[in-house]
Amino acid sequence: MVRALLDAWRRFWFTPATATNLGASRLMFFLGLTLFYLPHDFSGWGDVAPALLQPIWLFDRFDIPVLSAAALNIIQVIWKIALLCACIGLFTRASMLVVAVLGTYLLGLGHNFGQTYHFDAILVLVFWILAVSRAGDAWSVDALRHAAKNPGAPAPAPSPEYQWPVQGVLVALSFVFFAAGTAKLRASGLSWVLSDHLAILLDRVQYGISDADPLLPIGSFVARIPYAPQLMGIGTIVFEAGYPIALFSRRLRPFMVLGGIGLIVGIRVLMGPTFENFLLVNVFWVPWDRVTGWLRARFVGRTDVHGLLMSTPAVRSTDRVSHPS
Amino acid sequence: MTFRRQVLVHLVILGIVGGSLYDIVTSQEHWPFSDYPMFASIHQKHALDNWYRVFGVTPEGREVPIRRYDELWPLDQSRLPLGIRRIAQTPGSEARVKSALEDILRRYEARRAARQHEGPEIHGIRLYSLSWDLEPYAANIDRPRARTLIAEVHQQTVAVR
Repeated sequence: MVRALLDAWRRFWFTPATATNLGASRLMFFLGLTLFYLPHDFSGWGDVAPALLQPIWLFDRFDIPVLSAAALNIIQVIWKIALLCACIGLFTRASMLVVAVLGTYLLGLGHNFGQTYHFDAILVLVFWILAVSRAGDAWSVDALRHAAKNPGAPAPAPSPEYQWPVQGVLVALSFVFFAAGTAKLRASGLSWVLSDHLAILLDRVQYGISDADPLLPIGSFVARIPYAPQLMGIGTIVFEAGYPIALFSRRLRPFMVLGGIGLIVGIRVLMGPTFENFLLVNVFWVPWDRVTGWLRARFVGRTDVHGLLMSTPAVRSTDRVSHPS
Repeated sequence: MTFRRQVLVHLVILGIVGGSLYDIVTSQEHWPFSDYPMFASIHQKHALDNWYRVFGVTPEGREVPIRRYDELWPLDQSRLPLGIRRIAQTPGSEARVKSALEDILRRYEARRAARQHEGPEIHGIRLYSLSWDLEPYAANIDRPRARTLIAEVHQQTVAVR
């Protein structure tokens, strides 16, 4: 029994995988974050009166100060440069470590002023997973530099090092949805679905109580479509509480992942909370090796873009063993 | 993987799994871990009660709601009311609430002067607790059922920082 569990643990986390999925996910994830946070200014938190400060446990426990606006300006510039370096894979491990340390601080800052939002916590967990990973071994400037210095060097072989970080990110993401679903069931039971709760909620958010207003002013309309709130409630519970199924069932994975994305988009459109950056974590679900394999097959003979980026020989899509079904 | 590397990787995995499970099981929040309780408690009344909102007072004495992100930055229309309500409901916090309002007024006016928002000039800030009976599309947002003044500050009381 214990042996079977240990084997299952090893299979799940440490089945050797190619470097493509982790490298490409790193690139896409940090590309999205670089673009998302480029116009974002964190320095304002250094100018908010201490009267409004209500530290969250992380800042309170470790006595982390809120720095001045000038200091925050410097920190955010360093962080954004590190995000870009992590994206293109330049000094990848150091860049990702800087992203994790400074990102935890910068993204955590706002939560010390009245309300803990939930759209960036998962990003911090992903930062730390990647910071100790070898996500720069492919699809990176570092890989290109290595190949240039060592012509004829073998490509990174499939390794557990390329499996566990992707699985770690997906497990963390699954916990987010699972927690949200079970919190609803524990707090309210089936009343969360069967009552008028969601209809009331769709009306409440029209009063400007979310961090941003809904993208479309149709919440009150949707709330009055017969049974629509209840159907949305069922969908919410099914996709949230059932999300971890996506980790284990290849067949159900697309439905659960798309359902999760649909929930986030629906919340933004109908209710307001700004989860756009949260969506970026979904790039870790994409089987990039199959995507690049398909592209290579589609455009074969035109250019070896994949080989250039990877600085590795072609990897067959059947090599991918990263997600047990 | 070397043995040390395996230990490090397992620590990361156990940290993520353990931290997440701990908060889910105990219904607590230790950011960046959380039990994600948003929207979990059901609302049974078609009402929104005791929602705090700040209003600016123009030189003519008119009250204008301050809700836009560029007017409240880096706070926002959700974080500020929830945070200041928690402070205001703490006994003996009158001075702290006024200090917070003075800060909001100072930053609003500084940003207006720098053309970072297009709100009107204001000379004071009032904090109200508002209650509404819900109407579709918040048609009555300007006509709450109840309105209680919690605190107010005026520009002459705002210290220059």
